[in-house]
Amino acid sequence: MAVVLVGVGLVAFAGFAALPALTTSTYLIAFFLSVFIAAILAQSYDWVGGHLGYLNLGHASFFGIGAYTFGILLKGGQPLLVAFGAGAVLAVAFALLISYPFFRLRGAYFALATFGLVTLLELLASNLSELTGGSGGLTIPTGYRLYRAYYAALGLLALVVGATAGLARSRLGLALVSIREDEEVAGAFGVNAYGVKCLALVASAAVAGLAGGLYCWYLTYIIPSTVFGLDVAIGPIVMAMLGGSGTIAGPLLGALVLDVIREVLRFKTQYLALTIYGVILVLVGLFLPGGLANPRRWRRLTRLAGRRLA
Amino acid sequence: MQTFIQLLIGGVLQGGIYALGAFGLSIIFGVLRVLNVAHGDYLMLGGMLTYWLYTAWGLPPWASLVVVFPVFFLGGLVVERGLIRPITGKGHHEFLVASILVTLGISLAIEDVTAFGLTQPVKGIDYFLPPIRMGAIVVSSLRLILLALIVALTAAIHLFLQRSFTGKALRAVMEDREGAMLAGIDIGTASAVAFGLGTALTATAGVFFVTLIPVDPHIGIPLTLRYLAIIVLGGVGHLPGALAGSVVLGLSESLVAFYVGAEWSLTVAFVILIAILLARPRGLLG
Repeated sequence: MAVVLVGVGLVAFAGFAALPALTTSTYLIAFFLSVFIAAILAQSYDWVGGHLGYLNLGHASFFGIGAYTFGILLKGGQPLLVAFGAGAVLAVAFALLISYPFFRLRGAYFALATFGLVTLLELLASNLSELTGGSGGLTIPTGYRLYRAYYAALGLLALVVGATAGLARSRLGLALVSIREDEEVAGAFGVNAYGVKCLALVASAAVAGLAGGLYCWYLTYIIPSTVFGLDVAIGPIVMAMLGGSGTIAGPLLGALVLDVIREVLRFKTQYLALTIYGVILVLVGLFLPGGLANPRRWRRLTRLAGRRLA
Repeated sequence: MQTFIQLLIGGVLQGGIYALGAFGLSIIFGVLRVLNVAHGDYLMLGGMLTYWLYTAWGLPPWASLVVVFPVFFLGGLVVERGLIRPITGKGHHEFLVASILVTLGISLAIEDVTAFGLTQPVKGIDYFLPPIRMGAIVVSSLRLILLALIVALTAAIHLFLQRSFTGKALRAVMEDREGAMLAGIDIGTASAVAFGLGTALTATAGVFFVTLIPVDPHIGIPLTLRYLAIIVLGGVGHLPGALAGSVVLGLSESLVAFYVGAEWSLTVAFVILIAILLARPRGLLG
């Protein structure tokens, strides 16, 4: 089973790497670029939200900090790689800063406090207009970079997926899951709960910060709601839940499915996108908390189907 | 000095409006253990209904209380039965995740549908009563009437929770769920009543809100965040604490909005939240 999955992953990677040579449609490339960024966010969110079990509704804050740091530095004439690196570093610094007060919270309190964080940052990005351009937006020097951004996103996604696969087999991964199941018991068995939680948050912040820089580089223009908006904040969580939280394939599957749904809706209707998002959220919450990639659910379904056929 | 006193009065009133919604969220969270993210949206809907009653039927804002409260009580019962009850009985983590997803989904849908359905989304009631002058200080009599109504409502909720059988049952469930079940309290009924009551209280706050400040479809989630700050400040299921927290938040927002700038007033709630969490992770009084 594991060999098959690795094979599927490698074939998919090769296919996506070859895609620009196979098609001349820039629409398709741009669409998959957005799927990659969504999948990067969903997977890195899931390290904290799924594996560790701390519902971090504020993942977009790292994404936005990365995007704004990158944009402000690039606009200020810094080299590209410095700007990317600084975005990730600042996102990590922010993660470290909030980890102490926030990891004192559990459950629903943690979820809503992190959610408040995004709102706060969006407010700051709008109010500190000398630095961020406020609601008028931040523009960086433009240029044609669709293909370079595509490959950068694909590379980062591959890295993130590889890291998740490694995590699932490591002691660290076990420590994360043990904290999710029972933090006190994990602590009693010698897991350094605070250190492990910090590490997970920092890693997910670094990835989200890089993704934010990449997104800003590709778009060349951001306003506070592009990176801190409600749909940006909620997207990764819905994707992870829809696909299957705490798994490797789940967040990727969720990102693909949700982005396809969103793209179809964008053509069918201009309005009520958030409503449909909300309805999907309710449905996932009611029926699918294990997600599409939940093996138990499929086994039960195939068993039911088998009984029907027999 | 004069400005300062005006700011104080405005802040206390704003705190009173927050308090009703915070009571609602506190009761819901205390009894059902559901953090209702859609809570602020019920205030918005309550305000919209009041606006509609005022413009279409000429009903003055306080009279619409009689309509808003029962309508949203029933609405809360329906939401609890249809969307919340099916997810109870799952494991702890799964229930938390599912409850946040479901209520967040409700919130997004309410906000988006309301914004979509209104050509002019900002709705305010232009209701005026002659002000009262005390020397140099001018107090709006409308605000005083509203404040009196809020105080009366708060007292009513307090009495309901302290004296009535249902109120005692709700408090018992908040205090000790298993113990309450052993004592023969029907958790299902208690949950339904708590959700209906919480929703109705918040919608009622919307009646007061729209009389003072215009409502628009997007105020829901920022309000929910304020309620969270208040509850963390005052302790879950602790009404006097929620009242104190509301007044503290209302006052600080009113002072910050005047002396620093209105665009910074939402940050107050957040700074309070972080400060309290740093000092006392379980809430100030909880």
